Amino acid sequence: MAEQNISQEQLRALQEKIKNMSPEELKEFQKKQCIFCQIVAGKVQSRKIYEDEKTIAILDINPSNPGHVLLLTKEHYSIMPQVPDDEVAHVFMVAKALSNSMLRSIDAQGTNIIAANGIAAGQRAQHFMVHIIPRKENDGINFVLPQKTMEQKEIEAVGNKLIAALGGAVAKEEEKSVIPFKLQEPEKKEAKGSIDLDNLSRILGVK
Amino acid sequence: MAAREACVVCQIVGNNIPSKKIYEDEFAMAVLDVNGANPGHCFVMPKNHYPIIEQVPDAEIGRLFQVSNKISSAIFESLGVQGTNIFVANGVPAGQTVAHFTINIIPRKENDGINLQWQPKQLSEEEMSTVELKLKEQTKNVGYFQKEEKKPRVHAPKQKVISEEEEEYFTRQMRRLP
Repeated sequence: MAEQNISQEQLRALQEKIKNMSPEELKEFQKKQCIFCQIVAGKVQSRKIYEDEKTIAILDINPSNPGHVLLLTKEHYSIMPQVPDDEVAHVFMVAKALSNSMLRSIDAQGTNIIAANGIAAGQRAQHFMVHIIPRKENDGINFVLPQKTMEQKEIEAVGNKLIAALGGAVAKEEEKSVIPFKLQEPEKKEAKGSIDLDNLSRILGVK
Repeated sequence: MAAREACVVCQIVGNNIPSKKIYEDEFAMAVLDVNGANPGHCFVMPKNHYPIIEQVPDAEIGRLFQVSNKISSAIFESLGVQGTNIFVANGVPAGQTVAHFTINIIPRKENDGINLQWQPKQLSEEEMSTVELKLKEQTKNVGYFQKEEKKPRVHAPKQKVISEEEEEYFTRQMRRLP
């Protein structure tokens, strides 16, 4: 790529340019740099196994198991918190259907559905995607989720922080249908991001 | 409802086992995992008893993952973490330990001892093509290919008819759960 050979001055100019971009321009810029957007656009070859108006599913070229699928949003979102609610719902309905397909067509005995937000979580590409991994016994995949014991005090403290961040208390027994946070209306285009771009670049490790 | 009585998650939903509740609505509930992989590790689960994801109606899937995404954002906002994972294990070989569909929301920091990585397997072109064809053949039947329809898809819960054979398959899978 050309960017690899640019001088310090050009780099600074580029950074300046990015800094002054409107969110729309920035999104367009990210899109141009994103290999998965190229795949969505059909400019880069892939083995497509499913497509609809919002999503596309392709085989991972570095699969954990044969049949490892990447489910992508056609729209460019860097991380899952940016994805609008209606798309989140749609993506995971498709993920369910693909998981189901794996059990039926390639003799999978189980599936893992994984999304990673941020480098620390194992995210490598700056395009939101869901991994759907067909599993068999003794297939050599070893996911490690250690069990850490928490003090009751810590549980309360962490729990209350999360409840506060979700914007409300847990619904009481008698009003179970009360939803402490509002889901976005599907037609509302701009995702009200609680994570700003500085935050985002920190999460993604971009300088 | 023997399955429910024996199910730890149903007992949590029914408040028979104490838990730190983070979120609740008519379909879904989220609690903190007291033996979580990291502080803030949450479970999101449907209130209805569904052993695996295939049995969860589409509308509930949508809702459960929307809730998961909100919780993941809340974790970013309030716990100062560097990332989050959304993790589902479906079936014993995938690491499912409870016979009630749950979504794990895991806060992440560098070097936190969690491993959700894998060693890529080398497949020949032929192997890739075979698996591609098999999956494609199956995804045709999914019923999501409604490109002609102009109006947005309505995610009404589809009445899913589970044949006897399928039902048997699910139960067989479940019997293997501890």
